Amino acid sequence: MILALGVSVFKKNAFANLSPIAIVIIIMLILIGLIIYSVLRYLNFKFHVSQDDFHLSTGILNKDNIVIPKSKIQNVNIKQNFFQQLIDVVSVNIETAGDDSSEIEISALDKGNANRLKEELFTKQSFDENLEMHVEANASNNDKVFFKASITRLLLEGVSENHFRSFLIIMSFFFGIYYEIKDYFENLSFEEQLENNINLAETAFMGTLLISLVFVLLFLLVSILFSVIKMLIINLNLEVIEHRKNIEINKGLFNKMSLALTPSRIQNLVIKTNRFKEWLNLYRLSVKQAMVNKKQQKNFKIVALDANQLEYLVNKLLKTYTKPEFYLKPDGYFKYILWLRLSIGFAVLNVPAYIIIGNYFWLVNFLFIAFTAIYVHIRYRKSGYCISNKFVTITSGFIDTVTHILELHKIQSVEMSQTIFQKRRGIASVIISTASKSVSIPYIKTTDAKSIVDSLLFKVESCKTDWM
Amino acid sequence: MFTNAQIDVNDLPRLDEVTLVPISKKFLYIILFNKLIVFAFVYGALIMASTFANDVLFTEYFQYLVFAVTSILILNLAFAVIAFRKRKYALRENDLIYSKGLLFLKITVVPISRIQHIEETRTWLARQFGLASLKIFTAGDSGTDLSISGLTEAEARKINDFLSTRVNAGN
Repeated sequence: MILALGVSVFKKNAFANLSPIAIVIIIMLILIGLIIYSVLRYLNFKFHVSQDDFHLSTGILNKDNIVIPKSKIQNVNIKQNFFQQLIDVVSVNIETAGDDSSEIEISALDKGNANRLKEELFTKQSFDENLEMHVEANASNNDKVFFKASITRLLLEGVSENHFRSFLIIMSFFFGIYYEIKDYFENLSFEEQLENNINLAETAFMGTLLISLVFVLLFLLVSILFSVIKMLIINLNLEVIEHRKNIEINKGLFNKMSLALTPSRIQNLVIKTNRFKEWLNLYRLSVKQAMVNKKQQKNFKIVALDANQLEYLVNKLLKTYTKPEFYLKPDGYFKYILWLRLSIGFAVLNVPAYIIIGNYFWLVNFLFIAFTAIYVHIRYRKSGYCISNKFVTITSGFIDTVTHILELHKIQSVEMSQTIFQKRRGIASVIISTASKSVSIPYIKTTDAKSIVDSLLFKVESCKTDWM
Repeated sequence: MFTNAQIDVNDLPRLDEVTLVPISKKFLYIILFNKLIVFAFVYGALIMASTFANDVLFTEYFQYLVFAVTSILILNLAFAVIAFRKRKYALRENDLIYSKGLLFLKITVVPISRIQHIEETRTWLARQFGLASLKIFTAGDSGTDLSISGLTEAEARKINDFLSTRVNAGN
């Protein structure tokens, strides 16, 4: 750190004495150096695939030789960002079980080679497995495109998004800018007006209300636009392709990617929809896999599915899964705790309400109470859980309806938690962790919680199937 | 032969029936010692501030500040002592149970078949008391890993051996 500082100071002094020509020469030298470096790096970057292993050698001065047995390769992903699209190359990601750092990226391959490499890396594995697999491989070699999202459906998906979050982001962004350029606004005596409005609350009340309403509408429009554009950029040309063993997802406009889903690695499935989307028959499926880094995890999302496709896909990923007929509900305590939390929050909000609106601030509380009542009612109605022989299904959500599904044998640990007040009332929550996510069954009776923990543990410990 | 007899939920091994073993009492000293060090720093900062600061307002309220910190300290220590009794663990044939917390009670159960690796650590302070901690790692989120502090060295070794053999036998 100190060294870097010293160097930068040294450079600054040095630059002052240099003529422009010298600076140009230095920049040229740096550029040439960079070019030589990249050429050398290119020449020293070699890989080949042998019968059992993938070999990669890199490094100019420090040579690195990496050997990965094919059987240990978890995933091969193909990606193409904007620049790679310009020169029509792709990058291939080879993931192994382990840390983020153990990932290998080959950043410029033409498409044909990339696909061949991918196939090559996966071939050995299927030979390894028994005859049965072999036959199956021959039988269904034709990979079929199972699902293709049309632009209209993507647009609908974008519009029907929960805009609350992007709304908040844009709001805070706007206010950030507003405070930056406040000085300019002050010239327009905007502030004074605002202050006058506060003082003459009664006459100007409607005016402020109107202005804020216009602003809110404007923000809403911008956030909808924001969601739609984001949706299109990420998910354009979304395709789901069924292979015999795994499922492939292709998507993206600027950042094209091709991801493979292996059923054995899947830990949780999360289905998201909301009222509006349900009506439009739109569902979103996120697949949480083990040992995938956080950034990558986000990409395993399939949007704009309709109900039938969703069911088919879930069944493909989790065989024998059936949608539970009825869900068990959390205890009434759940409502109580939600009321408590929101009331405290809103009680605090009375202070800014007083500052903004003035003497009529207590009217806001009616709004708060109405909101809380609706919020609690919906949250409670949407939350439920069902534990079948092989799966745990948990639903939750307020605006969104979220369904978590996980297989029992993938459970890593089970936890029961309760506060001292909950203990007195006989309430507890159960937290179930898999290798990629923890989900909780909130606020059920302690006796139920205990028997759930017992039965989950029994099933996990008595089953012989490994979690991966 | 494949059997699939019905299982009565009431006959399953129950969490309630497990007698949880408290961890070594000596670990309480370590907890208290750590807390005292933290508060020593706070007091040190306060004294430093009082000697160097010449703000009238600060010197006026200095005694209240000291009083506040002291009462927090006493409450904190008292709480630590009461909550300490809640730190318990149990080893079953197929899983490891750990429970802790007075205000926020938590019982975590990790099946032995899901354990990835085990780490036994002894800090300098723990060594003086002959204690060790066991960290149990699963493939789950890093937050879900189990860590039992304040075991005696012999206990820790025994549990470690038992778990290791069980984990290896499972594979």
